[in-house]
Amino acid sequence: MTVVERIEDNGVLVERTHRGLAQVWIDFESALVQVPVIARLTTGKLRREDYLALLRNLRQQVVEGSRWISRAASNLGPEHEELRSLFVRHAVAEHRDYRLLEQNYVAAGGALEDILSARKNIGSEALSAFLYQTASKPDPLGMLGAMFVIEGLGERLALPWSQAIQAQLGLGKEAVSFLAYHGANDGDHLDMFDHALALAVRDADTADEIVRHARIVARLYRLQLEELDHV
Amino acid sequence: MQPVYVTASAQCLPGAPVGNDAMVDYIGRLSPEAERLGRLTLRQNRIRGRHYAIRPDGGSDWTVARLAAQAVRSVLAETDPRRVGFLATATTQNDLLVPGLASGVHAESGLPPIEVASLQSVCASSMMAFKAAALQVAAGEHRAAIVAGAEFSSRYFRPGHYLGTDTMRADGTLPGDAEFLRWTLSDGAAALLIEDKPAEQGLSLRVDWISLRSFADRFAPCMTGGAVRGPDGTLTPWSLGEGAPDAARAGAFQLRQDIDALYRMLPVWMGEFMRLVDEGRIDPQAVDWFLCHFSAHSLREEMVKLATRAGCMIPEERWFTNIYDKGNVGAAAIFLMIDDLMRSGRLRPGQRILCAVPESGQCIMAYAGLTVVGDTK
Repeated sequence: MTVVERIEDNGVLVERTHRGLAQVWIDFESALVQVPVIARLTTGKLRREDYLALLRNLRQQVVEGSRWISRAASNLGPEHEELRSLFVRHAVAEHRDYRLLEQNYVAAGGALEDILSARKNIGSEALSAFLYQTASKPDPLGMLGAMFVIEGLGERLALPWSQAIQAQLGLGKEAVSFLAYHGANDGDHLDMFDHALALAVRDADTADEIVRHARIVARLYRLQLEELDHV
Repeated sequence: MQPVYVTASAQCLPGAPVGNDAMVDYIGRLSPEAERLGRLTLRQNRIRGRHYAIRPDGGSDWTVARLAAQAVRSVLAETDPRRVGFLATATTQNDLLVPGLASGVHAESGLPPIEVASLQSVCASSMMAFKAAALQVAAGEHRAAIVAGAEFSSRYFRPGHYLGTDTMRADGTLPGDAEFLRWTLSDGAAALLIEDKPAEQGLSLRVDWISLRSFADRFAPCMTGGAVRGPDGTLTPWSLGEGAPDAARAGAFQLRQDIDALYRMLPVWMGEFMRLVDEGRIDPQAVDWFLCHFSAHSLREEMVKLATRAGCMIPEERWFTNIYDKGNVGAAAIFLMIDDLMRSGRLRPGQRILCAVPESGQCIMAYAGLTVVGDTK
């Protein structure tokens, strides 16, 4: 069966997955305003120490990103060859992103050794543990749900956040490049994601698993933002 | 529960239609710059005509109760008024602070003593009242009920409500969130008769379900009236200050709409649609008429893309609207659309109607599913 035929075949299932993911995203995004640091950001009351904490805490999760994606890739069997190569390419594209966070941290007035030595917060620990555990299972297609949420942050929120942070704290571009870069580039990632979804969703169970993983990751990501510096 | 049907509908639009060029004669002139912002708003909302219950001299023969009562009288003419035991009303701002609008409408309607309910919110108050009326009949409390939605917002847009307040800037303009609504909202009323059986002749609409959800757990107030705004954006009720004159000077009695917050609500409104699709209440393919209280063009490209990918985009040719000619009449809007559709001659038995009423106030989304029954003779 060619890829085109398969996409037509599973069209209804893919739509159902998109619908489930969209609801997870909408619930996640709209509930973010209840997280203190995001509430301060959206009401124009962000402090420099908030931004530094955000960078310091995000870095400990981002540094793991390409590692769990690679692990998931290695567990995709021969049935999912094409998907595996998408995962590998994605892992390569993002594997040094955490360095931008470190540069931004210093540019925003933080000390490099602080961001390098910080531990994962309670939420990051839970998120990371879940991602590695899921990525370690055979054919971990649910990871697509996790990637949807994390890519969605870059696609939909990173750019407005970077602009708001710059405006509120009077920082230069060099202090927000991680968020600005993701805002500018993750659109392509999401197109690739649509392609990956069409490849992966061949039955209702997979559709449900992808949405379920998205729901879990969305909650754990919010926990990570709620637990800044709680290690 | 007893099946319920919309068996009659009516509308009351005061005066002759007012075109864009004549609007300012009714809502009054603040400054040339304010009117420039108005033209910009009209280009975006694409409204060409509306009705005003206010006269150019600022006087009026109408109240919001009278507008609603006129629509109620029109539906009563199509039934035996003795069957009607319940009246639910919906509006954004009542004539009086106390008592509720339903009392005012009842007083003007010619109905004998009945049960009433006054539902006050913004646009979605229409669906709250619709659901209250439908459930009253479905539960067997009453054989027939009337729901009426009405707005008389033009009176709040007159210069006297702005001049001399802190909101008015030195150059004669208002902040965008205050000016926007002056050029968006207008007046009118509409009513539906809801009964425990279809009309003996012609078409009726079976009410299959009504769903309404508030998202105030995650949105701050977005369309407001009655609050004094602090420099940090906090809202204090007008009544908690030094008195009404102080509150008025601070602009508390002006309607405001935070447009950016409104756009942040769009995905949440669409998420509700998707939830109802997953629950099997909405089948996007089976919807013949989509009556939506926002226009297809107001959806940004990304929202259309999102809906399409999720199998939730209803083709634009099935959207039914009258907003361009009748204006945005808030809590009356969905009943105006239902009335126009019922009179259009385009309905056929078996067709499915989906109504959608979003409210920006503090984020509410309401949907209703109706099915056309009866015969076209």
